[in-house]
Amino acid sequence: MSRCRFHPPLLAGALLLATALAGCVQPTIDQVRFARTGPLGDQSVVILSRKHKTQGETENDFISCVSDSVAAGDDSLSVLAERQFVDSVFPWFEPRTAPLTMDKLGEVIAEPLVGNRIRDIGVRYLVWIEGTTERTDQAGTVQCTVFTGGMPACFGFLSWEDASNYEASIWDVTEGIAVGKVTSEAVGTSFIPAVVVPIPFIARVQPEACTNLSDQIKSFLGDSEA
Amino acid sequence: MPVSGFSVAGLAVLSGSRVGRALYGAAAGAVLLVAMLGCARGASVTVNTTVPSPLVNPIPVKMGVYFDDALTAYVHVEEVPDHGEYRIDLGASQVPVFERVFDAMFQDVTRLKGKALENENAAPFLDALQSSGANVDAVLAPTIEEMQFAIPAQTKGDFYEVWIKYRMKLFATDGTLIADWDLLGYGKANSDNYGSVGTQDDALGDATIWALRDAAAFLSFYFPTVDGVREWLEGRGVGA
Repeated sequence: MSRCRFHPPLLAGALLLATALAGCVQPTIDQVRFARTGPLGDQSVVILSRKHKTQGETENDFISCVSDSVAAGDDSLSVLAERQFVDSVFPWFEPRTAPLTMDKLGEVIAEPLVGNRIRDIGVRYLVWIEGTTERTDQAGTVQCTVFTGGMPACFGFLSWEDASNYEASIWDVTEGIAVGKVTSEAVGTSFIPAVVVPIPFIARVQPEACTNLSDQIKSFLGDSEA
Repeated sequence: MPVSGFSVAGLAVLSGSRVGRALYGAAAGAVLLVAMLGCARGASVTVNTTVPSPLVNPIPVKMGVYFDDALTAYVHVEEVPDHGEYRIDLGASQVPVFERVFDAMFQDVTRLKGKALENENAAPFLDALQSSGANVDAVLAPTIEEMQFAIPAQTKGDFYEVWIKYRMKLFATDGTLIADWDLLGYGKANSDNYGSVGTQDDALGDATIWALRDAAAFLSFYFPTVDGVREWLEGRGVGA
């Protein structure tokens, strides 16, 4: 019969340590500029997700993350919430009616009702985001046992790889042109070795992709040089 | 971060002590709770929503809109094999959604309410029209012909999906059918956007709201181009 003593300070310390540990993430960013961007002034940007596909729809929390990040910091831009924008121009930017090309956007904003509404709410740029974060690999197991006295113990090794791949197309509504694209890719491996106490090393792949894409968008729109 | 490969195996109590029995009971309860959550079945959703006012040019006609009892009390109930009963109550949303759309689409709108329309029988709305004394050019009557949904377990995909098939009928004030056509609303909600517990109601509710928005969008966009409606509008000097 084996008996294990429960050590709360030890366990709490291990958990604290675990939260500070992170798996490795490899980011890749890129941008292509098609046209010059002007100063935003008192106008705003809308971060939108493409919803017309039946697979690979961008996660809501990623759109929220990018919107919040673009609106934060010393180089922040004014951001109008996605839902507020699509409600304001209903039904022109619904999943099955939103323009998929610059030509179609031109037709939409040429409608006086829509063009006037977009001017009224002060939107200058539409940023369409496509892409997802997917689990690309996974291996191993961790098994846990509860011993007498309430001491849980886990043994094993678990690892998985996540990959983020996002692209943002930036459209200037005022000029009716596509001004550029920025991309953010990130790959990271997370793992949990467990010898009594499991210690997770979590690769924050999607947050990394969000931060990089947001910085790219701010840099792209904040830089008025061609 | 979900750790889907994590497993709890070999749950062992190595002593018959009181502590051990208490621990075993707690652990067994936890396992039972997880099992119950994992086997959560079906969903019950009441959709009570409206849509934003559509940005469209109002058509210069005086339109009566007839909401029959079957529309305002519509409930879809379906048994999905191995997944339980799904109940989606759509009725409460129909009047708010259509009123918002029709108010934007037509210059003047009169609401009529009454018994269910059957086929092309206009008698119920004629009664409502007569008793209201409304002066309208025509009467538009939406009915729900069919509703379907799919859950990720059925499609092996990520989405909860909802389809609502409306039958739209446009009647002259003497009860003659001017036009009838199908209006399809489709909505989806990505299961990745919801938590792991109690997601079905929220996801199905959101998919249904998107389906209502979709139907409203297509109605407000394409009403003037529907066969029969186009000719009727042209006859009134209103181009499509």
